[in-house]
Amino acid sequence: MRLLIIILLGFALGGCSAGSGKGLDVSGRPLSEGGDLPLAATLASIQANVFNPSCIVCHSGASAPLGLRLDAASSYTALVGVSSSQNGSFKLVAPANPDASYLIKKLEGTAAEGEQMPLGGPPVPQATIDFVRQWITDGAAPDSGGPASQPPVVVSLTPVPASASTDFPSQIAAGFDQDVDASTINDLTFTLHRSGGDAQFDNGNDVVITPAAVALSPMNARLAVMDLTGVAAVEDRYRITLSGAGTNVILSVSGLTLDGEFAGSFPSGDGTQGGDFVAEFDVQGLQASLDSIQANVFTPTCAFSGCHSGPAGPNLPAGMDLSSADASFASLVDVASIQVPVTMRVATGIADDSYLIRKLEGTAAAGSRMPLGGPFLDQVTIDVIRAWIDSGAAR
Amino acid sequence: MKKGLAWKSIGFALLCLFAMNKTVHAEPYLAVQKGLKCSTCHMAASGGGQRTPYGSAFAQTELPARTLDMGKLWTGEIGRYFAVGGNIRGGWNRLDVPGRSSISDTELEEFLAYIEIKPFPKYLTLYVDAKLRPDDPEIREQYARLTLPKGRWSIQAGEFFLPYGLRIQDDEAFIRQVSGINFNAPDTGWQVGFEEGAWSGQLAVTRGTAGGPEVDSGKQYSLRVSHVTPKWRGGGSFNFNDASVGDRQMQNVFGGVRTGPIAWLAEIDCIIDDGTPTGKRRSWASLIEANYGYRKGHNLRASFEWFDPDDDVPDDEQNRFSVIWEYSPIQFLQTRIGYRDYNGIPQNPGQNREQLFAELHVFF
Repeated sequence: MRLLIIILLGFALGGCSAGSGKGLDVSGRPLSEGGDLPLAATLASIQANVFNPSCIVCHSGASAPLGLRLDAASSYTALVGVSSSQNGSFKLVAPANPDASYLIKKLEGTAAEGEQMPLGGPPVPQATIDFVRQWITDGAAPDSGGPASQPPVVVSLTPVPASASTDFPSQIAAGFDQDVDASTINDLTFTLHRSGGDAQFDNGNDVVITPAAVALSPMNARLAVMDLTGVAAVEDRYRITLSGAGTNVILSVSGLTLDGEFAGSFPSGDGTQGGDFVAEFDVQGLQASLDSIQANVFTPTCAFSGCHSGPAGPNLPAGMDLSSADASFASLVDVASIQVPVTMRVATGIADDSYLIRKLEGTAAAGSRMPLGGPFLDQVTIDVIRAWIDSGAAR
Repeated sequence: MKKGLAWKSIGFALLCLFAMNKTVHAEPYLAVQKGLKCSTCHMAASGGGQRTPYGSAFAQTELPARTLDMGKLWTGEIGRYFAVGGNIRGGWNRLDVPGRSSISDTELEEFLAYIEIKPFPKYLTLYVDAKLRPDDPEIREQYARLTLPKGRWSIQAGEFFLPYGLRIQDDEAFIRQVSGINFNAPDTGWQVGFEEGAWSGQLAVTRGTAGGPEVDSGKQYSLRVSHVTPKWRGGGSFNFNDASVGDRQMQNVFGGVRTGPIAWLAEIDCIIDDGTPTGKRRSWASLIEANYGYRKGHNLRASFEWFDPDDDVPDDEQNRFSVIWEYSPIQFLQTRIGYRDYNGIPQNPGQNREQLFAELHVFF
């Protein structure tokens, strides 16, 4: 018996060597099926360089883990805009927001749930993940699969349209659904103005911003970038225009004009060529309003996964849901603290009696000072939150 | 009689008692070495998870090189209606990928807790297997099991790991990774189990989404049958997942045999996927493993695995060699030091990595 096993083992070891890889791409598929692609911030490249070689050995077919299939036919619809089944507060891919994309957290090993992916395999190099990040930042567009017959549309913009921030952006990035003609991306077709301090445009006092550069990304033919290095940071309302009407317009590589009309949600367009894309954003100091506090304090500081990320409920910390302005209002205003039930988290009109302030200033009777482990908010920021509460803690 | 000798005698008596009751199970090579069924040492008929009282006794008396005198034997049972257990694994890991810097890390890999509630002992069991984390526990299995009188038939409903092939601990083994049936992919549905003499069988009907939500009306059907004798065992599994994106059919044969101090394990799987970009694809995965228990508390394991991702494509095969030394110095504690050598197509560095690891495993 032992001899038989040894003989069988010898045959097994001798006859089961690794493949030579001849005629195959990095994923082990015949080159005739498409072959290798250089790394780029496109879905086709990510499919070829990340999903195929590292993921689909498990994430394909009928029994893909968690039902998540990452083969070429499935990856876009399985990822983009789809909630994670491990953590429903995240999208697997949140267009324009790689930090909020669960795919990135799993690849970088920062997700609270489960293991870093690929499971048991070598992690994907950060330089490669950065291309995935860029694809998401650009709007996580599907691949067109050849010259487009439809006019190009805008699928993402950073900063986010209608957003408010205390920080002036270092660049503005606009993503398109298809490759665009690099020669049509310039300071005549991609412009930035500020309102002149009155938050109104086209009333004679607008200020033209002169960027350091405007160009198509050399790494991504679907991403136009305006470099704002050296531009003075002024608190004001800003307006971005991508030209789809007039003499100077943005064209796709197939010569079609930008379909730019924008009503607040992506993609832009009304289905026909032409029309400017116009979006605004604010650069402002922290305001004594819940929206401003949400954008500048709660979202970046408190609403991380595993902290005050929801869903709302009796269990801390997630149950004190600070993931959106509406959730924060419902969780805070005139809601009794769980740690000290006689105290309202936000006592309308009385900041001194609000448990939120005590937790932020480190004077609460229970638990630790927030944000847990620091860094703590500076008093100027806390004073703005105090002002919001003292003024009635309005939604 | 000395106290230590007394409790060892009690332990041995428990082993004999439970062995006679034929209600056992363990890590596959241990089951092969001892000629036992999987359900002898574990609650799951195909292995893993909560240990039975026999499994607990075995782990304290037969597995370690030396048994410390702790007064009495831990069986996991807290009274008649409640039992608990756990596994904590942590360690050091180093990966060398051609063309990249080495990666090494030390981490607590998992802390698993098992809770068994028995409202009607021997007949009805409510079971939870949870992975504990500071801020986000994850339930891996949760089901209710009804065992009929005489213990032959059982039926369970809930979320559980599917019965298929050898349930070895290494989820990254090709047979576990490629089949997608491993400790990362519980499924929800029901299962009928059969235990009679040397025979063991399970039939499960589940969602077929590997832990994900139900997305279509198709189901996954898993059947596993095995025959266990004191010297050898053999079995087969069949799995069919009826899915709207394309069906998957898997089948395997597996077995084990003991030759002196060496316990051999082997499995070969054939997996057929419909609906791939190139149509139907057939892949193969296999494992052969030798475990040399050269001294009590020690096990030297060598394994070879082979994987052909598509048998219509030449030169795409991968293999993996592993050498692992396991040492259980005392009860509840096991150390593991190992080396793995992966080989695949040269253009994919990840398929040609080497891994060194050391693991500390505390269990009860």
